[in-house]
Amino acid sequence: MTDPVRILVVDDNEDILSTFYEFFSSMGYTVKTAVDGFVALKLLRDKANSFDALITDLVMPNISGVGLISIVKKEYPDIKIIAITGYGDKPGALASEAEADMVLFKPIDLFKIEAKVAELLNLESRT
Amino acid sequence: MTTPLIGVSKSILKIKELISHVANTCLNVLITGETGVGKEVVAQNLYEESIRSSQNFVKINCAALPETLLESELFGYEKGAFTGAHRKRHGKFKTADKGVLFLDEIGDMPMALQSKMLHVLQSGEFSPLGSDQDFKTDAWVIAATNHNLEERIAAKKFREDLFYRLNIIKIDIPPLRNRTEDIPALVEYYSRIYQTEFGMDQVEKPNTEVMEKLCAYTWPGNIRQLQNCIKKQMVLNSWDKIFAELFSENLTLHNSPASDIPAHPPLANGTSPNATLEEGALIAEFVDLSTSSEKLFEDISLKKIKKMASDRVEREVIIFVLKKVGWNRSKAAKILKISYKTLLYKMTEFKIQPPVK
Ligand SMILES: Nc1ncnc2c1ncn2[C@@H]1O[C@H](COP(=O)(O)OP(=O)(O)OP(=O)(O)O)[C@@H](O)[C@H]1O
Ligand SMILES: [Mg+2]
Repeated sequence: MTDPVRILVVDDNEDILSTFYEFFSSMGYTVKTAVDGFVALKLLRDKANSFDALITDLVMPNISGVGLISIVKKEYPDIKIIAITGYGDKPGALASEAEADMVLFKPIDLFKIEAKVAELLNLESRT
Repeated sequence: MTTPLIGVSKSILKIKELISHVANTCLNVLITGETGVGKEVVAQNLYEESIRSSQNFVKINCAALPETLLESELFGYEKGAFTGAHRKRHGKFKTADKGVLFLDEIGDMPMALQSKMLHVLQSGEFSPLGSDQDFKTDAWVIAATNHNLEERIAAKKFREDLFYRLNIIKIDIPPLRNRTEDIPALVEYYSRIYQTEFGMDQVEKPNTEVMEKLCAYTWPGNIRQLQNCIKKQMVLNSWDKIFAELFSENLTLHNSPASDIPAHPPLANGTSPNATLEEGALIAEFVDLSTSSEKLFEDISLKKIKKMASDRVEREVIIFVLKKVGWNRSKAAKILKISYKTLLYKMTEFKIQPPVK
């Protein structure tokens, strides 16, 4: 057995967050959640944490998903990034510009997202 | 010198923390909040905490200038770009290179310029008026507005794509009435500053009762209004007087029953002087209320009505004073505290003529 994959999920909708948390935990991932980019940034800057992948919504207060992606790309280049957007392609285009590894559009099913995470990390998908 | 962000409320502490986390990212920032809440203070603190603090902080007010002037201010122009462009001039984007460009009142930027701004933010390049050359810019863009931009977008007054471009980091400053814990700290800070400024001896601290009243007030002008009150207190030394003014203004603004409004002087066109002030009567003097609401809504313009109302009052006051001084215009100008020239101008504008003898 290898170490569990550590992911950080960011969304300002708490229901979505807990759904992600339940799902990825049940798939054997270690999951942390944050309600906006600012909370996420503080988790990232906390030395006690380290993450393999980031799954983030785009439109959020304080630090948006786009902002978070730019910061992570620069300061934590090893973390793989999946952006999820539900607001048409405007912020979506910004997310690609900020070099998210992948931009997915809502609604999207969780198994698909998990498969993408596994693909980005060169893992066998757990399903 | 940069004003420190004074306050102990949760929201101010969070804003300070956010500033320290993003000051070195150079990501576009959008600062929102009512007038006087401290948007510019936040912008300056971002700059001050960043590695750009040794470079320029360049501010431009997007509401204060007409479109073409705003454009040339932002991007600069080449010699001969338009009549009057006798020599080349650098724009703010150039001056702010490697530093900060603070776009104040961005919500009021004309649509055409918004497109140009979007282009610069996307490409990182701009081109001065009359130039066919593109220049790279590395300005950290911080924008502020007291408009609700989502509403402006819905009203087609603001570009959605520009909004997303700017809204990478969003700092929303709540109004002072929603963070009254900050009031004592602000009062103390500014009392000390003004005390030194006015060269006064120790000033008394407001007692608990005064502080409670300060915290109960709604502060529509936020910290700027609080500052003015503290200044006034230094001069008047009477919180009672200040509160009397504050709370009475509040009354007439928000919940004055119509009967409290002093009866209005009758109109020249023969409205009955005894007409009761029913709802809309005052308004009817400036717009025709009997038309369809569609037409009516088109006719109603606060700016226009304000002008009409103030013109009418000005005219009355000028005639009143002129009569008192036997139509001696230089005396009247002195009493009205306007220049002689202004008085003559206003007399022409309002068609005021001395009675023929
Ligand atoms: N937290 C604060 N601590 C100390 N001073 C403050 C604070 N917030 C605002 N001020 C002061 O209040 C005044 C108004 O602030 P500022 O000019 O930043 O407001 P603003 O939000 O830009 O208003 P406007 O929308 O009218 O431009 C300034 O003199 C500023 O120094
Ligand atoms: Mg301002």
